Amino acid sequence: MNQPSHSSHHEGTEVRTLSNEERAAIDASTRGPVILFIGSSIFWLVIGTCLKVVADWQLSFPSLLDFTALFTYGRIEPAQSNILIYGWASTAAFGAGLWVTARLSRVPLLHKKLLISAGIIWNLGVIIGAAGILVGDGNSIPGLDFPGYASPILLIAYALIASWIIITLCYRQPGALFASQWFIFAGFLCFPWLYATANILLVWNPVQASAQGPIACWFLENLTNLWLAPVAIGTGFYIVPKLISRPIASPSLSVLGFWTLILFGSWTGISNLFGGPIPAWMMGAGVAASIMLIIPVFSIAMNLHLTLSGKYEVMSWSPALRFTVFGLYGFFFSGILATLLALPKFHGALQFSDVFAGASLLSLYGFVSMTFFGAIYYIVPRLINAEWPCVTLIRCHFWLVLTGLVLALSALFLGGLLQGFAQFDVASTFRSSIEFVSPFRFLSAIASVLFLLGHLSFAFLFVLMLLKTGKSQSGPALLNEPTENSLETLAV
Amino acid sequence: MNKLPLLFTGILIIFGAAWLGLVAYPVSNLGHLQPLVDEDTAGYFPPSVAGLAVAGQKVYASAGCVYCHTQQVRLDPTSTDIAKKLGVRQTVPRDYIRDKTAFLGKRRIGQDLSNVGTRIKEANEFHQYLYEPSSVTPWGKMPSYRYLYKLTKIVSQPSADAIQGLKGPHAPPTGYEVIPTEDAKALVAYLLSLNKNYPLPESPEPTAK
Repeated sequence: MNQPSHSSHHEGTEVRTLSNEERAAIDASTRGPVILFIGSSIFWLVIGTCLKVVADWQLSFPSLLDFTALFTYGRIEPAQSNILIYGWASTAAFGAGLWVTARLSRVPLLHKKLLISAGIIWNLGVIIGAAGILVGDGNSIPGLDFPGYASPILLIAYALIASWIIITLCYRQPGALFASQWFIFAGFLCFPWLYATANILLVWNPVQASAQGPIACWFLENLTNLWLAPVAIGTGFYIVPKLISRPIASPSLSVLGFWTLILFGSWTGISNLFGGPIPAWMMGAGVAASIMLIIPVFSIAMNLHLTLSGKYEVMSWSPALRFTVFGLYGFFFSGILATLLALPKFHGALQFSDVFAGASLLSLYGFVSMTFFGAIYYIVPRLINAEWPCVTLIRCHFWLVLTGLVLALSALFLGGLLQGFAQFDVASTFRSSIEFVSPFRFLSAIASVLFLLGHLSFAFLFVLMLLKTGKSQSGPALLNEPTENSLETLAV
Repeated sequence: MNKLPLLFTGILIIFGAAWLGLVAYPVSNLGHLQPLVDEDTAGYFPPSVAGLAVAGQKVYASAGCVYCHTQQVRLDPTSTDIAKKLGVRQTVPRDYIRDKTAFLGKRRIGQDLSNVGTRIKEANEFHQYLYEPSSVTPWGKMPSYRYLYKLTKIVSQPSADAIQGLKGPHAPPTGYEVIPTEDAKALVAYLLSLNKNYPLPESPEPTAK
C-alpha cells in the first residue's frame, strides 16, 4: 500500500514515502489538536449559518426580530460574517494546515497540549468577539468587527498555532519543500501581519480616518487572498494528488501560481475603492493587480486540470475529492469574476450592488468553504481510523450546499445586475433599485436555508463520526461504486 | 524554493511592498491632513463637529449602519453619484478627517449618507424615520430602531423631547409619548452633521454637461 510520493517539487528527485507505521505515528500526534480545530470550526459553521439565515431573511422582511438591539440586521450581519471567517474558515484552516504540514514534513507534532490550549483560547476569542458585536461593541469595519478586546486573544492563540507550523517545517525530514507547504507557510505568515496591522491602525489606536479606507480594503481582500486562499490551495494540492494517486502535473506552474498570487493578490483589495477617496495611483495599481490576478488563477486552475485530467471520475465516488475539486474550481471562477468586476466600467455600476455580495460568497463559500469541506472529509477518517458512518448524510450535505450555492449566486448576480443598473442609471430612482432586487433577495434567503440544512447534516455526520458508529463498517463511505481501486488504505 | 529562509524572504519582500504602498503610504501621506481655512468666514473645511455628533459616530458603528449605507460620493464619470445628487462633488480623504472610523461602506441596501444632513434638516424627521422607517418609506427595507427610544406615559406636561407626528403600528397610544434616548439624540446629531458639500480645492465640482 505504498503511495507514490506527492512529488510536486520541481527537482523530481527520489521518491519519498512514509511507512504505514510512521504515518500512523504522525496522525496520532495530530489527532487531538486537529479534531479540536475541525470540531469547533463545524460548530461555528452551524452558528454562523443560523445567523446568516436570520440576516438574509431580514433583508426581505425588515421587521423580523427588530424589537431588540441584539438581533437587528446591523449586528447580525457582521456577527455572521465574522463568525464564518474567524470561527469557521480560519479554524478549519488551522486544522487542515497543521495536519498537512505534519504529514508533509514527516514529523509528529510535539507538545500538542499547548496546541490544544491555543485552540481553546482561539475559540474563546471568537465567542467574546461575536458576543461583542451583538451587544454593540463592533467596529463596523467589514471583516474586522470583533471589538478591540477580543482581537488580542485571537492574536495570542494565533501566535502559538503559527509557531507550531513553523517549528514543524523547520524540523521536517530533510528534503525539498512541497508546493502545499509553500502555500500554507505563506498563509500562516501573512495572517498575523494582516490582522495585527489592521487592528493597530484601525481599532486600537486608529489613524486619521482619511487614511483608513485603503488599509481596510487591503486587509479585507487579503484576508481571503493571502490567508484563507493559500491554506485552502495548499491543502487541496495535497489532497487531490493523494486521492487520484498521481503527482501534481506541473511543478513550474505551481511556482508561477504561488509567487504571482502573493504578488498580485496583495494589491487587488484597493480596486474596491475605485473612484473613492484614495489617490489616483492607488486606483490604477488596484485595477492593474486585479487584471494580473488572472495569471495565478489560470496557472493554479490549469495545474489542477492537468493533474486531474482523465481522473475526474474519482469525483463520482470520493466525497473528499468532489468537494475539493468544486472548491478549487470555485477559486478559478471567483478569480475571473474578481478581474471582471475590477474593470472601472463594471465596477462603477455594480460596486454597491448584490453582485459584489455574490462575488464574496463565491470566494468565501464556493472556494474556501468547499475546499475545507473536502479536506475535512479526507482528514477526519485518517485521524479517527474509521470511515464516515453515513453516505446519505454526505450526499445531503453535498447536494444541499451545491443547490444553495447555485441558487444564491444566480439570485445575487441577477438581482445585483438589475439593482446596479438602477443605481447607475440617472433616470432611475433609488426606490426602483430596492424594488428590482427584492424578489432576488428572497431567493437568496431561501438559499441560505439550504446552506443551513446542508451544514446541519454535515455537523450531524461529524458527531456520528466522533461517536465512531462507523467502526463496524467494512469499507470506506463511497458515494458511488468506484470503477477502479484507489490506492489509499482509507480510500476517501 | 526549497529552503525555508529563502521562501520567507521572498514572501516578506513581496508582501512588504504591498504593505508599504497600501498601509504605510496612506498612514504617512493621508493620515495627517489638516482642515482648510475658509477665507470668507474664517471657519474650517471640513467644519468641526459638535461633541454630541462625535458621540453619534459610536452609535452609528454600534448599530452597524455601515452594512447598508455607504458614505462616499464617487468619481465622475465611472459612477453617476454626482448626477444622482448624492453630493455636489467627489469625496476625498480630507472629507473624513473629523471621523474616528471611515464609514465608507460596501453596499447600498439603503441610500448613501455622505450628505444626508443636506436632505433631511430636522431632527424630528430623523427620529420619525429611525423609530419606524416603514411609516415614512413603506417600500424601504430599513429595520426599525425602536430600541433607541423609550415609550413613556405623559405625566403632566408632554416632554419637549418627545417625537412629533408618529404614525404607523408602533405610534404611541394616547397619553403616551416616545422619547429618544441619549444614543438616539447623538445618532441624529451625527446624521444632521453629515454634509460634505463645502468646497475643497482638491475636489472641484464638475461643470455642468
